[in-house]
Amino acid sequence: MNSYYLWSSIIPLSIGTFLIRSSFIFLSDKFKLNDEIKLLFSYIPASVLPALLGPMVYFHKGEIDFFNYHERLIAFLFGCIICFYTKNIFLTIIAGLLGLYFLRLQFL
Amino acid sequence: MIKTDIFKYGFKSMFPVIPGMIPFGLIMGTVGITSGLSLPETMGLNFLVFGGASQLVAVDLMTKNTSSYLIIFTGIIINLRFILYSAANSVFLKECSFLFKLMGAYLLTDQSYAVTSAKETELRSNTERIHFYFGCGLCMFVFWNLSVLLGCLFGNIVPSSLSLDFAVPLSFMALTIPALKSKSYYFIAIQSLVLSILFINLPFNLGLIVTASLGIFSSYLFIKFKRKI
Repeated sequence: MNSYYLWSSIIPLSIGTFLIRSSFIFLSDKFKLNDEIKLLFSYIPASVLPALLGPMVYFHKGEIDFFNYHERLIAFLFGCIICFYTKNIFLTIIAGLLGLYFLRLQFL
Repeated sequence: MIKTDIFKYGFKSMFPVIPGMIPFGLIMGTVGITSGLSLPETMGLNFLVFGGASQLVAVDLMTKNTSSYLIIFTGIIINLRFILYSAANSVFLKECSFLFKLMGAYLLTDQSYAVTSAKETELRSNTERIHFYFGCGLCMFVFWNLSVLLGCLFGNIVPSSLSLDFAVPLSFMALTIPALKSKSYYFIAIQSLVLSILFINLPFNLGLIVTASLGIFSSYLFIKFKRKI
């Protein structure tokens, strides 16, 4: 990969990210977040993370024609259920992967 | 408890969340190398940004030759959530010296924030919270960099039939679901999920930015009209 392209993307991104992280640690005496803004920030994970994972799961072409090659959707939903009840990242990943292996064993 | 004990306690308190992070780190390393980055480039990116989701998306967009501006903008949108953590942790970190504030800011991650806030009431003073937080942050830093390095070195050895790349959307989902505190959060998450799929063919890979912006806009409407659905 072109190294100018790489670093001209990465260095500003890392500076921007660091400034975001620094923001209130350095400025909390001068600025106060009002409750509405705090509430709005609390919606950021719900706005951003599903937008990252949606295309990864939906557009992945799998191997099982029984599920129209969308077996990852089924395994993903299974992972969602496990996550909802356990709230545990590790168990969720394991459940999703095992779910996928199970579907392959059964239908492939 | 004395200072070093609290620091170690913070370090150890991260152990339950580390196993969920390791596959993510391994994939970051593997994806870096398979996308044509060298080992120093992957580790440099990893050290500078220290934000898994934004790094992974940045590398993905780079392989599609997206403009640098859009890569930077997308990554920053993904990392905007750190403002919230910065505000929350400033309560105790503002008592640190300048150098430790810098380090404290750098070490802010989803995991170190989540674990510190979960133990907040157990810690009796801001000094204790500072030592605990740096223990958490260091633990995350060490294991994250180690797992990315392992991914760079051995990623190609793991057979692709194990589908470890599937761990990436799973770990994003596992970070999302605990953050959904009421029905309005579920609404926003489902809206983003659907729109991200509908907008996949937008030019310049703008789909993510447009989806995330609409999600934040809908959240604003929820708050504005105080609709507790």
